[in-house]
Amino acid sequence: MNTKLINRLQVLSISLIWLLFTGIAVWILNLIRESLRLHDSPDASLGISLVAIPVFFTLSSVLTYVFIGLRKGRKKDV
Amino acid sequence: MEKAAAAPHPDYDLLRPIENPGKSFYYIVAVLLVIILYTGFVYIRQVYYGLGVTGMAQPVTWGFYIINFVFFIGISHAGTLISAILRLSKAEWRRPITRMAEVITAIVLAIGGLHPILDLGRPDRMTHLFYNGRLQSPLLWDIVSITAYFTASTVYLFIPMIPDIAILRDRGVKPRWLYEFLSWGWQGTEQQHKVLDRAMNILMVVVIPIAISVHTIISYIFAMTVQPGWHSTIFGPYFVVGAIFSGIAAILVLMIVFRKVFHLERYLKLIHFNYLSVLLLVMSLLWFYFTFSEYLTGFYGHEPNEMRVFWYKFSGAYAPYFWTMVTCNFLVPLILLSNRKTRTIPGILIASISVIIGMWLERLIIVVPSLANPRLPYPTGVYIPSLTEWTMFLGGVSVFILGYMMFARFFPVISIWEIQEGRQESAKAVTERITSYMPDPQPRYTGSMEIE
Amino acid sequence: MKWGMVIDLQKCTGCGECVAACKLENNVAIVEPKESEMGRTMLWMDMLTVYEGEYPRLRVRQIPRPCMHCDHPPCTKVCPVRATYKNEEGIVAQIYPQCIGCRYCMAACPYTVKSFNWYKPEWAPGIRETVNPDVSVRQVGVVEKCTFCVHRLQKAKEQAKSEGRNLREGDFQTACAGSCPAGAIVFGDLENTSHRVNSLSHSPRATRLLEDLGTEPKVIYLKEVD
Repeated sequence: MNTKLINRLQVLSISLIWLLFTGIAVWILNLIRESLRLHDSPDASLGISLVAIPVFFTLSSVLTYVFIGLRKGRKKDV
Repeated sequence: MEKAAAAPHPDYDLLRPIENPGKSFYYIVAVLLVIILYTGFVYIRQVYYGLGVTGMAQPVTWGFYIINFVFFIGISHAGTLISAILRLSKAEWRRPITRMAEVITAIVLAIGGLHPILDLGRPDRMTHLFYNGRLQSPLLWDIVSITAYFTASTVYLFIPMIPDIAILRDRGVKPRWLYEFLSWGWQGTEQQHKVLDRAMNILMVVVIPIAISVHTIISYIFAMTVQPGWHSTIFGPYFVVGAIFSGIAAILVLMIVFRKVFHLERYLKLIHFNYLSVLLLVMSLLWFYFTFSEYLTGFYGHEPNEMRVFWYKFSGAYAPYFWTMVTCNFLVPLILLSNRKTRTIPGILIASISVIIGMWLERLIIVVPSLANPRLPYPTGVYIPSLTEWTMFLGGVSVFILGYMMFARFFPVISIWEIQEGRQESAKAVTERITSYMPDPQPRYTGSMEIE
Repeated sequence: MKWGMVIDLQKCTGCGECVAACKLENNVAIVEPKESEMGRTMLWMDMLTVYEGEYPRLRVRQIPRPCMHCDHPPCTKVCPVRATYKNEEGIVAQIYPQCIGCRYCMAACPYTVKSFNWYKPEWAPGIRETVNPDVSVRQVGVVEKCTFCVHRLQKAKEQAKSEGRNLREGDFQTACAGSCPAGAIVFGDLENTSHRVNSLSHSPRATRLLEDLGTEPKVIYLKEVD
């Protein structure tokens, strides 16, 4: 397997992770909207969700940071 | 198929399971696959006929599936939590342990997270949770937090694995593309080390509150109802302590097994077991403190419904399980682990297995008695798990073992680069650190005792 | 409009007619004897038997127990998919196609009123003919419970609408209330002063089950006098 293909697959996998986490965030926001519409008690639910979404994005940011950082930190002759 | 070049490496013991797996690996995998396949059939049968194939009924409408759900997720705690806390506190003895712990978490979370689905009467309607989920239900909180923990622990497992994957890639281990793909171009340059360090520092802090939240939220499934024996404020911390407790026991068992099977006596030394088993002892005492507190409060208040559940556990139908649990969780670890003479590898193995059994019993004792003793005057419920539920339990354990074996087949269970780093830098770093704790050199005083 | 029920324990003889009538009206499945022994009997209206004292001063109380239709239901709080909810008229309803069968509501209910379809409900050939066409038959794996015969309510509402008038007290009754030979079960609108349940609910003998839990049940029991 040549390097270019592997590179593309790596970038693809990171993009998919971002997609997944965005999907999770959208889902949680949807659920919050539902709960407001149905007059469920929103407090704890909102709190938990609003903590969870930044957590997911922190994770994907760290992953991206590592990926790009490792790329940049390579020896120049590659 | 060519065997990978067995080039000499100071830590070849850690690479051998990957480069030279041996025949017994395939036999065991085959057996596990058969068990798992059978479990799959049993589950399909359950979906076809309905949950009637289990032993659940009214009023005990939750049984093995929920018990194992809590049990498996409980074990996941020690993994990431211990690894993160040990890294955060810069405990140097963590180096051979962290990866094993993190792998436990990742696998066991997936299994545990699957169990509520096994428990559903209509798993085909699972998507309702996503389309119409109600965030006010603790079950939804669970979904969010378990997903967060699973992703966090997977990332926290993967990132410190990158340098080791690079080692495998450079040694030309098959399948080459896998290690190329996962190593993300690691070359060990100083800049790359900095990036990795920073990422790990962020992660090990972020992971801890997530881990604590997971088992707290699982306890809320019970604590948020008004049922006697469940509606207790202590449940959050109680579950977290219990989870860490069972998790440490699981790591210890795994360490002992791998030490034997992979001949890792040089890496997993008695001192590692010593330290971890003292932690296990501390958790045992903590667990006992919480348990004592919970039951004393219930007993002293003497509320009638609470007392029915209380006596059901203390002297009623569940007394054998209750007292076995106390023995397994408290007496056995206390006796075996407080005495240095019995804190040997066999002693630690017995204590750890005892704790795992005891913690499973604790989950049983939390779930069933409160359901079996409804407030209104019904006959006391009886729950006898069916063969289906036992099979699913066995299947869950088999999936865990298989998952772990597959991991160990492709990746080193002990972090090679961290061991190397430890060899090269730890002694100096620790000496510097300890020197900084000592008082600064005294300034010179002039004759009048003032600072020069 | 707040539908509620008053059960006069002085009049109740414990005959069990309400239990049977409810089962027939609502197509509640009959389970096999082995299943029933395990505790899987499905009774939307159950008869609680309370033994007090010892022989010769033994006292047996029979208490019909439908769903309490709490105003503050612990079951709806925990349902993850809104398969159980409280509607504007105070009825705690079950949406069978929505239920995923997690049984959390069953674990949370302090009155243990809910039943579960452990297997696919089946009726023996003779009984099959008596199935009530107005009530849906549930599938395997969903939770069900007393609905205050909401299908009869819907029929009565439509009837009243077509006649251009409001609902009257006698327009519909739950099956249990209609079948009770002693007239111990009275059903109606708790907020409507012209309904009997309203005045009965203010009786000095009125009590509710597990009141201190704050569930605010809408089934009111009138204590026995002797």
